[in-house]
Amino acid sequence: MDALIPFTTSGSLVDLVDKKVLVVLRDGRKLTGVLRSYDQFANFLLESTVERLHYKFEYSDVDIGVLLIRGENVVALGEIDLIAEDNLPFVEIPLDEMRDKLAAQEKRRERDNIVKDKVLGSLGFVSDRHEGDAY
Amino acid sequence: MLIFSFFKTLTDQVITVELKNDLCITGTLKSVDQFLNIRLDGIRVEDPERHPHMLAVKNVFIRGSVVRYVRMAARAVDTTLLEDATRREAHNTGK
Amino acid sequence: MLPLALLSAAQGKPMLVELKNGVTFNGHLVDCDNFMNVTLREVYQTSADGERFWKMKEMFIKGNVIKYFRIADAILDQAAEEQEKNRALGRQRGGGRGGRGGGMPGRGGRGGPPRGGQAGRGRGGPGMRGARGGAGAGGPGAGPRQA
Repeated sequence: MDALIPFTTSGSLVDLVDKKVLVVLRDGRKLTGVLRSYDQFANFLLESTVERLHYKFEYSDVDIGVLLIRGENVVALGEIDLIAEDNLPFVEIPLDEMRDKLAAQEKRRERDNIVKDKVLGSLGFVSDRHEGDAY
Repeated sequence: MLIFSFFKTLTDQVITVELKNDLCITGTLKSVDQFLNIRLDGIRVEDPERHPHMLAVKNVFIRGSVVRYVRMAARAVDTTLLEDATRREAHNTGK
Repeated sequence: MLPLALLSAAQGKPMLVELKNGVTFNGHLVDCDNFMNVTLREVYQTSADGERFWKMKEMFIKGNVIKYFRIADAILDQAAEEQEKNRALGRQRGGGRGGRGGGMPGRGGRGGPPRGGQAGRGRGGPGMRGARGGAGAGGPGAGPRQA
């Protein structure tokens, strides 16, 4: 009886407490922070949270502080390897620049999606794009 | 419960989890729970350019509700045992 | 401390709530429950695109539409301190009773791992006691046939 690692949500998460983690949310956000606690619904309490915006090989950070995340909005939670983190090939750019680039990217994506929906619509498909999951 | 039990037999096997957002993660199954949340160690992302944020992550907890597929080696699965268990389960819950 | 415990401890404090659809509310927490339903007062609502604003004296938000809460660091520290204080008091008064999971900051709500092995799902073991939140407490005896 491998009772050492109980097959529970708690068992899976207990060794991640007080570690720096990356949380991916259903709306596509990527947050890093220190995992302080969790419960059986996988609600998470994060401290020193930073939202990282990515664009190709550039990134920008936004400080958020303490975050209590409702579990159902989480896609995945990963432990960040602090050594690997320092070796990432990314360049930091100012937040305004990042926001402009992402806004342009969003516009392009929206344009493409409208075309896609039109074509698929003509073939009989219904657009399920706006269901709130952007990840 | 049956699939949960099945996953428990797969611990320490290498599996690939495909999420509903098309992200594929390969890693060793460390743990699973009743909601089929999955804990993987030593992960590798299949298309790291599309998902650069995962580069520094070695272990991951994946919420069961976002999984589309779980792929595994055929030799890791005893299909006869699984079929028997399924028949028993169907018999017990079918009535 | 547990996420929902922090929420309860933050009653009366200001916070930001973001819903799944991106709408945000800034207000003071009046009350909350185990479903994460909350009531806020003196609320400033901002639309998802950040363009439109509303002000409300009081409002109720159903837990299942919430994405997250943003809380000030000071509130987390304060709540942790109070929890410590209460624990110390409890220890004085209650002697050897020992709070369930007491002194284990940040452990999962089941108080599982330190108890060692009790939480084996589907083992159909004794003691499916306590609220094991989520999908039905799996019938005892539906144990793994093939483990």
